[in-house]
Amino acid sequence: MGMLRRTKLCMDTVVDIQVIVREEEGMEQAEIGMKRAFEAFRRIEQACSRFSPDSELMKACRVTGAPVQVSPFLFEPIRFAIELAEWTEGVFDPTIGKIMEKHGFNRHYLTGERVNSRSADFVTYRDIVLDERDCTLLLHKPLVIDLGAVAKGFAIDLAANELKSSPGFIINAGGDLYAGGTDEKGEPWKIGIRHPLHKEQSIQVIKVSGQAVCTSGSYERRSAKEAGMHHIINAVTESSPNDWISCTVIAPYAMQADAFSTASFLLGAEGGRSLITQAGLQGIWITPDLQIDIAGREEA
Amino acid sequence: MAKMKNKWIVLCSAAVTAVYAAGYITTADQASRQQYADVSTTPAASAVPAVPYSGNSGAPQTADSSPSSTPARSIYKDGTYTGMGSNRRGSIQVTLTIANDKITDVEISRFGMHYSESDVAGLPSEVLHNQNSQVTNVSGATYSTKAFQSAVQDALMIARNA
Repeated sequence: MGMLRRTKLCMDTVVDIQVIVREEEGMEQAEIGMKRAFEAFRRIEQACSRFSPDSELMKACRVTGAPVQVSPFLFEPIRFAIELAEWTEGVFDPTIGKIMEKHGFNRHYLTGERVNSRSADFVTYRDIVLDERDCTLLLHKPLVIDLGAVAKGFAIDLAANELKSSPGFIINAGGDLYAGGTDEKGEPWKIGIRHPLHKEQSIQVIKVSGQAVCTSGSYERRSAKEAGMHHIINAVTESSPNDWISCTVIAPYAMQADAFSTASFLLGAEGGRSLITQAGLQGIWITPDLQIDIAGREEA
Repeated sequence: MAKMKNKWIVLCSAAVTAVYAAGYITTADQASRQQYADVSTTPAASAVPAVPYSGNSGAPQTADSSPSSTPARSIYKDGTYTGMGSNRRGSIQVTLTIANDKITDVEISRFGMHYSESDVAGLPSEVLHNQNSQVTNVSGATYSTKAFQSAVQDALMIARNA
């Protein structure tokens, strides 16, 4: 029994994939799965990057008033984001892209180049029209779609799909992860929730198998331009909420865990808790005074 | 309430399915079958996206020596390059692949960071090394990729066409 492990830079984060290999013959299969898993990340990045002018997303964002056909790598995350925007009444809104750019989140992680996109002043998710049958996207106004809270999760889900024949695997994309099967000992994977202040410690440890765990924290990616602002921005108030400093969601799909951890962070203590319990998920929240708050099915 | 629960799960599983249904990726089963016999049921290359995205569209990823189809004044030579980035904590080596002036892959090929408890900001040490003895992975450890950027720039310098 062995382990195949590879680490790459994708989507402005460190993507680490570990695959458990039971016997020697499984190595070749694991190699193929590993390659295809990273390919999924690359495809999503090429489709959804807000930082590459020639990504499918940014090309589509330059067209207004006419439908543009897009691939499912882009269509599906946008569809999910819009559903969640409707559910949260626009607190979570994928048209936050221009506001993110203005707060300094506009630099490509590999080339260092900055983007400055054209956008109308006031935009919401209602300015996006999706046609499911034709897989098209229509924008009423010039705007910038940000898929930061869904695209990475979707890439993890596609990668997990490629590795599902393995007895166990972990896809960790900068702390958003999916744990499939079991670990080397045949036990559920032990996942630590990062302590918001002491980076090398876990504040809580949970056991998962066949689940995604995603954490949104205000302790990372702070705005370089404004004090008190971080990368999770309420589209209605244009401010960063601070009821929690970390919000973890455990869900069967990483796209859901990713988007819901961000949305629950944005909705604040009461709204976020209700969102997670209504969706039948598990949430672990950390308050600024380091109290741990757990909701949903408790296994931790 | 059950309706609300199912809705999101259905959306997620439909999203994964949509990618395969449209033929953008073949399933792993289809791919391994293809190695033995060219099964013609796999969606063919006709399913190209309407808006073509740049980069390696279905081409073999290890396209080190593949002839460049666009000879028009490229900035970088196609191929695989390594670059080193270092700071006072240690060094990182990345291996990056370039095709048609696009970075198509960046693998972290060597990692030699030493870090102290209090000063790890900007270094993805813990993502690569086990975070502590009890857990295999940590959720919520987003690290800045800044530490890698100089390694990438280093490799890009080598890749530059004279």
